[in-house]
Amino acid sequence: MNRTAAPSALWTGAVAGVAGGLVFGAAMALVGTLPTVASLVRTDSLAVGFAVHLVIAAVLGAGLGMLVADQRTGAGESLFWGLAYGAFWWFLGALTLLPLLRGRPVDWGVAAAEAAFPSLLGHLLYGAVAGLVLVLLPLAGRAPPGPRRGTAAAVLRGSVAGLAAVWLLVSQLAAAYEPLALTVMQAAPRPVVVAGTALLGLAAGCGLALLYPRPADGAGPLLIRGMAYGFLLWVVVALTAVPLLRGAGLAWSAGQVRDGFVTLPSYLLLGAVTALVYRVLDGAGRVLFAGPAQRARRAEGEGAGTRGIRAAVRGALAGTAGGLLFTVIMVRIGFLGTVAGLVGGTSTTTGLAVHLVISVLIGASYGLVFRRQTYDPASALGWGVAYGLFWWVLGALTLLPVWLGGEPQWDAAAAAAAFPSLIGHLVYGSGLGLVYYLLEARDSPWWRTRTQSEALRVARRQEQLQTAAPAVWVVTLVLALIIPVILAAG
Amino acid sequence: MVAEPADGPVPRGVEPVAGAVAGLLAGLVVAVPQSAQGMMAPGLAGFTSDAVGLGLFLVLSALVGAAFGTVFGYRPRGYAATMGGGLVAGLLWWVLRSLTLQPLLTGGGPTWALDAATASFPFLIGDVLFGGLLGLGLHLLVGLFLRARPAAVPHGPPAEGPSTRIVILGGGFGGVAAAQELERRLAGATSVEVTLVSDSNALLFTPMLAEVASSSLEPQHISTPVRASLPGTVFRRAEVESVDTAARVVLARPSPAAPAEALPYDHLVLALGGVPNYRGLPGLAEHAFDLKTLEDATGLRNHVIGLLERADVEPDADERRRQVTFVVAGGGFAGSELIAELSDLVVGVVRYFPRLDPAELRFVLVHSQDRILPELGPQLAAYALDKLREKGIEFRLGTRVAALRADAVELDDGTEVGTRTLVWTAGNQPHPVMGTLPFPRSRSGAVSCDATMQVGGTTDVWAVGDCAAIPDPDGDEGVLYPPTAQHALRQGAAVARNIARALRGRPPQPFRFRTLGMLVVLGHQQAAAEIRGLRFSGLVAWLLWRGIYLAKLPGLEKKIRVLLDWTLDLFFPRDIVLTQVPRTPRSEPVLADRGERRA
Repeated sequence: MNRTAAPSALWTGAVAGVAGGLVFGAAMALVGTLPTVASLVRTDSLAVGFAVHLVIAAVLGAGLGMLVADQRTGAGESLFWGLAYGAFWWFLGALTLLPLLRGRPVDWGVAAAEAAFPSLLGHLLYGAVAGLVLVLLPLAGRAPPGPRRGTAAAVLRGSVAGLAAVWLLVSQLAAAYEPLALTVMQAAPRPVVVAGTALLGLAAGCGLALLYPRPADGAGPLLIRGMAYGFLLWVVVALTAVPLLRGAGLAWSAGQVRDGFVTLPSYLLLGAVTALVYRVLDGAGRVLFAGPAQRARRAEGEGAGTRGIRAAVRGALAGTAGGLLFTVIMVRIGFLGTVAGLVGGTSTTTGLAVHLVISVLIGASYGLVFRRQTYDPASALGWGVAYGLFWWVLGALTLLPVWLGGEPQWDAAAAAAAFPSLIGHLVYGSGLGLVYYLLEARDSPWWRTRTQSEALRVARRQEQLQTAAPAVWVVTLVLALIIPVILAAG
Repeated sequence: MVAEPADGPVPRGVEPVAGAVAGLLAGLVVAVPQSAQGMMAPGLAGFTSDAVGLGLFLVLSALVGAAFGTVFGYRPRGYAATMGGGLVAGLLWWVLRSLTLQPLLTGGGPTWALDAATASFPFLIGDVLFGGLLGLGLHLLVGLFLRARPAAVPHGPPAEGPSTRIVILGGGFGGVAAAQELERRLAGATSVEVTLVSDSNALLFTPMLAEVASSSLEPQHISTPVRASLPGTVFRRAEVESVDTAARVVLARPSPAAPAEALPYDHLVLALGGVPNYRGLPGLAEHAFDLKTLEDATGLRNHVIGLLERADVEPDADERRRQVTFVVAGGGFAGSELIAELSDLVVGVVRYFPRLDPAELRFVLVHSQDRILPELGPQLAAYALDKLREKGIEFRLGTRVAALRADAVELDDGTEVGTRTLVWTAGNQPHPVMGTLPFPRSRSGAVSCDATMQVGGTTDVWAVGDCAAIPDPDGDEGVLYPPTAQHALRQGAAVARNIARALRGRPPQPFRFRTLGMLVVLGHQQAAAEIRGLRFSGLVAWLLWRGIYLAKLPGLEKKIRVLLDWTLDLFFPRDIVLTQVPRTPRSEPVLADRGERRA
C-alpha cells in the first residue's frame, strides 16, 4: 500500500465498521448485552453503551480497511476477510480484552464461550456487513466499483445453480431435511415448503453470483467458499431472519443455536453444491463458447482430458496417503467396523478396504477440483483441511448414515459424537492436500520461471494470494472446531 | 500501518528466524492471560511447576513460529494473508498439541473425543490469539528486516542472457530425451539455455510408422509436438547446415529462402539420426519409397491405395500385375513389419475393388541374408517367417536389390520383379552433416565417441543415437551399441546427465545399457518377442507389443488417441480415402491444357 492510500483506507474502513456496528448493535439491543459494553465507561445507560459500541466498531472497521486495502477487491473477497476478522475479534475482544477492561478475570473456558455465543454471531455479522459495505465505498487510488459486464448472466447462472442445488439435496436426502423445513415450516403444507426451499435456493444462488460474478479460481476453492457462504446464510436466515419473522426474537443463545444446529449441515451443503454447480455452469460456458484467443489465454499446455486424468490420478495417490493417516484415528476410535457396514460387512479388514477406497475416490475428486490451486504448503493445508470438513459434513454426517439405512445425523448431539471423525477428516484433508501439492510440484513445476509464459503463470498464482483464500480457511476452521465444541458442551 | 518495502526475494533463513521471534513474542503475550487462568502447568510426569510450563510453552511457541515462517513465509503487502495463515496454523496446532500430542505424552492416548476438546477449549482460544499475533508479527519483522537491510536484497532481473548454452541437433528419440532430462536436471538453473534444432517440429514414434502406412493409425496420433513436451527448451524448426566446431557455432536454416541462423553453443549434442542409404544403386533415389518420416508413411499409403484404384480400371493385364505387386527391401524389423502391414491393408480393402482378382496380389520381401530378423533368435525368426509366409508373402532370401526401374526391380540373382512399389528399409547411414565434421568416424560414417558419448578429442561435443558410434564398455573391443530407439532414448538421457555433471565440474560417466528385448509385429494379432531371454509369439506377443509400445508412446493424449484408433479398428474397416491423389501421366496434359487456356 502506498502512503497516500492509507488514510483513505482507514476512513472507508471506519465507515464500513460503523455500518457493521449498527447491525451488531441492533442485535445486542435485542439480546440485551449493550449494558455490558456500557460498563466499559462505568455507566449503564443504553444510549452511551450504543455510542461506545459504535466507536469501537469504527476503530475495528478502520483496522479491517487497512488489512484488506491491499487485497483484491470484490464482494466475495472482503466478505470473507470481514468474517475472519470478526471471528478473530471475538476471541481477542469479547473473550479476552473486554473482561480485562472491565477488571474481571479472563475466562477462556467453554462455559464462558457458551455464554458469549451471541457475541460470536454478532461479531461474524459485524464482519460480514463491514466487509460488504467496504466494497461499495470508493477508495483513493482504486477505481470505483462500476457496473460490471456479465452480472446479469452470472445471476442467471447463480439462480439455476441455487435451484439445482436445492433440487439435488431434496431429491437425494429425505424431504424432511429441506433446509427451511425444520425451523419454520414443520407443520406447513407441502407446496409451501417446496416454494420456501426453492426461494431459499434461488436467493442463495443469486447472492453467490453477486459475490462472484466471475469466479476466478477453480471449482474446489469456490466449493469451500460456498460452504463458508452457507454458514453465513445459516446465521442470517436460520438463526436471525426466520426467528425474527416469527416474532420469537433472535435465536442466538447457545441453547437455541443448539436446537437450530440440525439445519446447519443443510445450509453448508446448499452453499457448497450451489457454488459447485455455479462454477460448473461457468466452466461449461467457457469450454463451449470460448474462442481460440480466450482459450490461449487460459492455456495450460494440455487439453482438458489429459490434465483431468493426471489430476485425478495424483489426487487418488494423495488420497491414499491421507486415508492412511485417517486410519490411525479410525483404529483408535474403532470406527472401521461401521465403515464396513457400507458393503454389508462387519470386520475391520473389510472396513479398512472400504475406507481406503473412499479415501482414493475423494482424493481423485480433490485432484479434479483443486488442480493447480495450491501454490505452497500453506494453501495445500488450507484447502485440504477445508475439503476434509466438507466431506465430514457430506460423508460422515449425511451419506454414511443414509447408506447404512438411517437418516442424516445432523443434530448437535450426533455431531458431538462424530467429533473424532471430524478430526480424522481434517487430518485426512491435510495429508491429501500436502501430498497432492508435492506430487503436482514434483511432476509439473508450473511456477518455476523457465520461460516467459511460466513467469506469467507465477504472477497469476501470486495474485491468488491476494484473494480471501486465507480468510476462507480461517472461517472454515472456526466453523469446524469452535461451533461443535461450544454447542456440544451444554 | 507503515509503508511496505519493495517486492523482492527474502534472503534464506530470515523467514524461519523471524517466525521464531514472532512466535516467542506472541507466546509471551498469550502467556499472560493463560497464566492468570492457571493454564501453564504442563501436566507432564514430574513437571508441574508453572515456570517449567512457561519455559516449555515459549520454546514450543518459537518452534511453531519457525515452522510457520518456513512454510508460509513473507508475502509482500500480505498482512491479511499472513494473519489468516497464522490463525489457521494456530487452530491446527491446537489439534496437534492439545488433542493429539498431549494425551499421547501423558499416557492416556488420544481419543479426539469431544470431552477432550471441551477440556482443552481454553487452549484453543489461546492458540487462535497466538496464531493471529504470530502471523502479524512475522509479517512486520520480515518487513522491518527488508527495510533495514535493503542492500542485502538483490533487486532487478538476474544477469542478462544465459551464461551457458546447450544446443541439441535433432528431434528424434535421442535429442528429445536429452532435452527432457536436461529440463529435469537444470530445472532451477535459469542461466542455462537449452536449444533444440530439428527439421521436424514433432517427435515421431517410428515403431508405429508401419501402421500409419497401412491406414490403421492416424498420422498425427503417433507424433508429439516438441514444443508441447519441452516447455522449458528453446525450439528451432530448421535444417542444420553446418557446424563450426572451432568457433562453436551451429548454422541452421529455417526455410530454403530464409538466411541461416547462427546458434552459439557451449555444449553440442549431435542427435541427427540417419537417412536411407541406397548404396549408390541405380534408380533407387528416383523411384524407391522410404519409411523414415510421417510424410513417407502417408505418401506410401496414398501410393498403395492409388495403385489399387488404377489397377481396378487397368486394361493391360501385365501392368495391372505390376500395380498390385508390392516389394520391400530389407528383412529387419522395419521391413518385416511393413510387409505384414501392407499385406493386411491390401487384402483387407481389396473387396472394394471388385474387378481386382485377390489371387493377383503379390507381396515380396527381398533380404540379403539367409534368414529375416537377424536380431531375433533363430527360432523366433523362423516362426516369423512361417507366419508371414502363411499370409502369402514371398521371400527372396540371400538376394539383394541391384537396380530399380519405374516398372520393375532388378535383383542381383539376375531375376526381376515387375512392380510399381519398392520400399527401401535395407540400409541407413548417419545424417550427411556428420560427414562435414572434423571428427573421426566409424565404418558406417557415424561419429566416433568414447564410452561417455563424448566425441573423440573434444570436451564440448557429444553424440547419441544412430549418428553416433558408441562403444559398449562391457563388450569386446570395438563392439558398438546398435542403432535402435531404446538405445537412443537411454543415450539421450545419459548424455544430459553427463552434460549436467560437466557443468558442475564433475567427470562424465560411461553409458551402459543392456538391450531389454526385441519385439516384432507380424500384422493382424501376430507378433514375436524376445524380452530378457524369454520368448513369446502369437497373440501374447502381439498384446505385449501393443502394450509396451503404447506405454512408450510419448504423451497421454496420444496414447488415448492411438488406443481409440486401435479399438475402432476392431469394429470398422480400414480407411481408403486418398488424401493426396497421385499424379498420373494422363492427368498432366489436362492440367497443362487448362493452364494455357487460363493464361
